[in-house]
Amino acid sequence: MIKTRRWIFAAMALAVTTALVFRPGLPVSITPETRHVFGVIDSLAPGSVVMISFDHEASSLPEIGPLGSAIVEHCFRRGVDIVGLALFSEGTAAGYDLLSRRASVLGRVYGSDWIYLGFRPQYTAAILGMGESIAGVFSADYKGQPLGSTALGKRVRDYRDIALVVSLADGSMPTYWVEYAQARYHERIIAAVTAVMVTSYVPYIESRQLEGIVAGLKGAAEYEQLLGHPGAGMRGMDAQSAAHGLIAILIVAGNWQAWRLRRKRRTMEGASS
Amino acid sequence: MKDRLAILTASGFGSFMAVQYFLTAPVANAAYRAILGWIQIVFAVALVAGVISVVRLHLKQLGRRRNQRVYSATLLGGAALMTILGFAGGVEQGSPFLWIFEHWQAPMQSTVFSLLAFYVASAAYRGFRARSAESAALVVAALIVLLGRVPIGEWLLPFLPSSADWILNVPALAAKRAVLIGIGLGMVATSLKVIAGIERSYLGGR
Repeated sequence: MIKTRRWIFAAMALAVTTALVFRPGLPVSITPETRHVFGVIDSLAPGSVVMISFDHEASSLPEIGPLGSAIVEHCFRRGVDIVGLALFSEGTAAGYDLLSRRASVLGRVYGSDWIYLGFRPQYTAAILGMGESIAGVFSADYKGQPLGSTALGKRVRDYRDIALVVSLADGSMPTYWVEYAQARYHERIIAAVTAVMVTSYVPYIESRQLEGIVAGLKGAAEYEQLLGHPGAGMRGMDAQSAAHGLIAILIVAGNWQAWRLRRKRRTMEGASS
Repeated sequence: MKDRLAILTASGFGSFMAVQYFLTAPVANAAYRAILGWIQIVFAVALVAGVISVVRLHLKQLGRRRNQRVYSATLLGGAALMTILGFAGGVEQGSPFLWIFEHWQAPMQSTVFSLLAFYVASAAYRGFRARSAESAALVVAALIVLLGRVPIGEWLLPFLPSSADWILNVPALAAKRAVLIGIGLGMVATSLKVIAGIERSYLGGR
């Protein structure tokens, strides 16, 4: 059994590595959900403000990173300003890193085109508090500058000045954004989540409490295609295809082996009786 | 006495936060804002208390458990290093703090998380068996969703993505809705029990 496991581990490593090295580049079809999210951000007027909340851990970065990068790039290209923050402590540095990198590539200026508020514990109070006053929750930004000292910081007083909230999450944080920011303050929310979380948020899409959802590495690959700028999402899809394909083969192989063993046992039992 | 005070506090603030949603009086709004501020202060203090507790626990383990010393030393060393770097060198782009986060912490955590793919593959081969009609349906659904969510599935069988979407949006969603409604009702019931002082497990199991 240990030997079989080692072979499976080796096969998985080989499948993923081969896909990453040779990049077969299978076409990725764009789902209506991703197209809708793209359309929502695309319809924002230049100068509108989008709040992007980095509600994830560092372990999810390979999946969430490309998704966040594509959305941030879209906002910056459209001339939409970004207010970044984190409601998970590990998202703090990840969010600042992502925003500052994309901003420097696209020539967006800190303070006027984007600001980063940093982390606040207790997400319920933070989400509700920002509905009353953003400066009341974040008196200073990530760099320690008073919020009112930046041009963008002065412009955003509460959710009425935020056109859209995007929660980049690997857990249930978009639910809290819906329950508190949408239900109480009627803020529009988009969930950009890991693929495994999709089913949790579909009920909120159908009730129109969530404006849209874009999910996983596939969502990132679809978004990159809509942007016309293939990146980490597209590259990752090859590896994900290989891994999913191998797991499917293993499920079929395991069941076939079990079926053969069962048949053999029945034959032996029949012969002995 | 201490328990009664805690129950009265929970009951009072719980009732107010439920009722204030429907109040428009300025005094209610001012109290609501003040409570939101206090919640954050209480959690910030709890965060500091948590850090102190972790440091104390691992300092003790350094002295007692020989086989776990290396883990405790790594944790304490890492925490001290990141704190010093954060205060001394700042947390902005190009700072040692952000460099360590980006080049050490994020790859290490992603590596541990990615091990899941290996264990899922192994478990899929050894444990995911169609032993009955129900489990066979589960295996078939898993195969469709597994392949339908990646380009290779669409390339092999073009109808797979729409079949995967149907599974996620109809049967899986029906089950998810039931779970969500159950959770919602449970939350309301537990909140009412806390406000009424019946649910007291938050006092430490007494």
